[in-house]
Amino acid sequence: MVQFSPEVIDTIIKAAALLGAGFAMIAGIGPGVGQGYAAGKAVEAVARDPEARGNVITTMLLGQAVAESTGIYSLVIAIVLIFTI
Amino acid sequence: MNPGPQVVLYLFDNPNLPITDTLIVAWLSVLIIIISAKLATRKLTIKPGKVQNAVEMLITSFIDQLEPMLPGEGWRFLPFIGTLFIFVGVGNLIGLVPGLTSPTGDLNTTLGLALVVFLVSNYEGVKAHGLWGYLKGFGQPVIFLLPINIIGELAKPISHSFRLFGNVVGGGIIMALVYQVVPGLIPVPLHAWFGLFVGLIQALIFGMVAIAYISVARSD
Repeated sequence: MVQFSPEVIDTIIKAAALLGAGFAMIAGIGPGVGQGYAAGKAVEAVARDPEARGNVITTMLLGQAVAESTGIYSLVIAIVLIFTI
Repeated sequence: MNPGPQVVLYLFDNPNLPITDTLIVAWLSVLIIIISAKLATRKLTIKPGKVQNAVEMLITSFIDQLEPMLPGEGWRFLPFIGTLFIFVGVGNLIGLVPGLTSPTGDLNTTLGLALVVFLVSNYEGVKAHGLWGYLKGFGQPVIFLLPINIIGELAKPISHSFRLFGNVVGGGIIMALVYQVVPGLIPVPLHAWFGLFVGLIQALIFGMVAIAYISVARSD
């Protein structure tokens, strides 16, 4: 059984927290895909019916804001992991 | 680097009444909004001047967003939603002034605003359906979805506040990192993105999501 000194344990905890923050941000893929899909569909809708541009943009922004939530959750978790250790 | 609100002073030297820098900047933005609103509406005329034209355009764009979601009641919700949008917008933009931190980069501010929206949307739901009718809406379509619907309702103010907070703080952290690596001309266009564009879009989204919550609570 290897005995670590408190400083070493502290460093390991910090390293693990920073790694965890990095891994948490993998969740950024989801909002990227979701927002891009919404924007692409909005472009299609505007191309089909240019008069509905205002309504389409409003709906798109609302949908993208909801799709963004998961990414923001992961960002908050990463911030907490970095700055509270 | 120590993020988050910094305590500037204690009110009456009482350690339970801290005054943070974000709170002071929030008061400052409220002052700016009041003074500019007073100046903009000082001399109202039938034939609008430049300033009056701009303010009227802002009001008309609010109404254009409100009317489709809350038919017939846009003017009743205009003061609430307009205040939310203007306060969040000014709060985001004031972070561009050197030395000031955005009040919206503090979870206390955004969670406070989101709780106000939460109370208003539930009040409107109770007003539209009656207390029992509104509570029964949580047991729809089948009764054992009740816990999920309640958790979903409680998650609304959390996601509403964290969205604004996360966007502002995330932009601020990226800007701080860029300033450490390349202090110079490169951060300036990034300020246009994170400060101006994201700030205004997030203010718009904050207001629009508030409208959506209210209209969903009324239309169950």
